[in-house]
Amino acid sequence: MAWSYVALAAVIEIFWVVGLRYSVTAIQWTGTGVAIVLSFYFIIKACEKLPSGTVYAVFTGSGAAAILLVDIFVFQAGFTWVTLTFIGLIVIGVVGIKLTTDEQVDTEGGG
Amino acid sequence: MAWVYLAIASLGEIFGVVSINYYLQKRSIKRLLLIVGIFGFGFVFLSLAMREIQMSTAYAVWTGLGAAGAVLMGILIFKESASVKRLFFLSLIILGAVGLKLFG
Repeated sequence: MAWSYVALAAVIEIFWVVGLRYSVTAIQWTGTGVAIVLSFYFIIKACEKLPSGTVYAVFTGSGAAAILLVDIFVFQAGFTWVTLTFIGLIVIGVVGIKLTTDEQVDTEGGG
Repeated sequence: MAWVYLAIASLGEIFGVVSINYYLQKRSIKRLLLIVGIFGFGFVFLSLAMREIQMSTAYAVWTGLGAAGAVLMGILIFKESASVKRLFFLSLIILGAVGLKLFG
């Protein structure tokens, strides 16, 4: 159940990122705001059951990949391999850092 | 200017996460509003940055700097361990962000 919260949050996140970029009308901005609150709500819910570093790693990792796909297939954005490589480095770095954060909490006996 | 906005937006994310922990210690409306305020501030700047920087690039750098900042703060202020693994991932993020700024 907790992992479905993470999946839900990641899907909703795509909408608010697109909203932040393309919103024009008040209704669109409101929708973006609602989507942000919803995705945070589900992340916090998931963190009550799962280690927060892992949740955040999956959430951002899948979010960044999904947004890249939306950029390419929906908005027809062109990317060079150089750009894709650097984005990839950031995603690996974020996922890695978040996963080692959980390791650290475990060894300290907290969490 | 867009890259400055992006850096400011990342600060919003770093302090936003701090405010979530603060809220979880004691759940009050005031602390909840603090979360909303700090993240709201960050999102405004993320949105401004996205007017010039491509959406996926801006998003990746925003999350990356947010995560890197949180780790650096943990190491420098809260004296968390700076393991080789964490520094390695940290340098990947910085390399990626600098690369996107220079060549993206």
